Amino acid sequence: MASNLQELLDGKIDFIGQQLVENLVHYVLVIATTMSFVAGFATQSLRVTFGILGTSTLLLALVVVPPWPMFRQHQVEWLGGGGGGGKENDRK
Amino acid sequence: MHNIVARGNNLFAFLSSCTMALLAAIALSSFLFTPIPTGVVDITSLKVYNVNARRYRNRKQEVALVNFNLTADLNSLFHWNTKQVFVYLEAKYENTQGANNTVVIWDRIVRRKEDAHINFTGKNKYMFRELSTSFKNVPPANFSLKYNVMPWVGLLTYGEAARTSEPIEFPPVS
Repeated sequence: MASNLQELLDGKIDFIGQQLVENLVHYVLVIATTMSFVAGFATQSLRVTFGILGTSTLLLALVVVPPWPMFRQHQVEWLGGGGGGGKENDRK
Repeated sequence: MHNIVARGNNLFAFLSSCTMALLAAIALSSFLFTPIPTGVVDITSLKVYNVNARRYRNRKQEVALVNFNLTADLNSLFHWNTKQVFVYLEAKYENTQGANNTVVIWDRIVRRKEDAHINFTGKNKYMFRELSTSFKNVPPANFSLKYNVMPWVGLLTYGEAARTSEPIEFPPVS
């Protein structure tokens, strides 16, 4: 039970998922910032600018922060621990 | 990036960089606008009175009473980065000691574009007095309507919307 809760709070994702998240954050935020500036300038309203930036950040957080299954499709496959081959090597 | 806290942190760290860049861009975009505010300052009468000085009961002090008409169109000063505009009427003259004096005699804060058309008739809001206590022999004064644009982000900008066509003489004490 405690370990389940721990896992839920940690929300770990795999390495390829981490790469994907990093790219998503960079591209989406840069595009959202540019869009918000252009839209605000066009409508002459700072409210539009920060509205767009704020909403897109919240949406992005929703996509990127929870450990969605799409970030967990490339789990690292550990080798089986049986056999104790390592120990034999150490002895030599 | 591996767990929730690290991803949230990464997102907001990059968001702060983006916000800084956005704010800088907004501040710089104010310079793209070239406002041309127009206006007319018409001093209808200028009188000088001798009154009791504020702090010293036995001392006399001359004050000027200015009546004026103001019309100004400050619409062009309002763009997306304008928070409010401070408009003030300034009297500028050189006193008998040769000091350049600039006195703000009236002002107004314009907060909305709808209020940017100024049409005002009245007298000076702030006491217009000469520190040397007398306007005698003081050269004529120039009156100008100036503005100060206060942006949401960026630098304050100053400018002049109108001025009297010629300097106005201080009359003898009445």
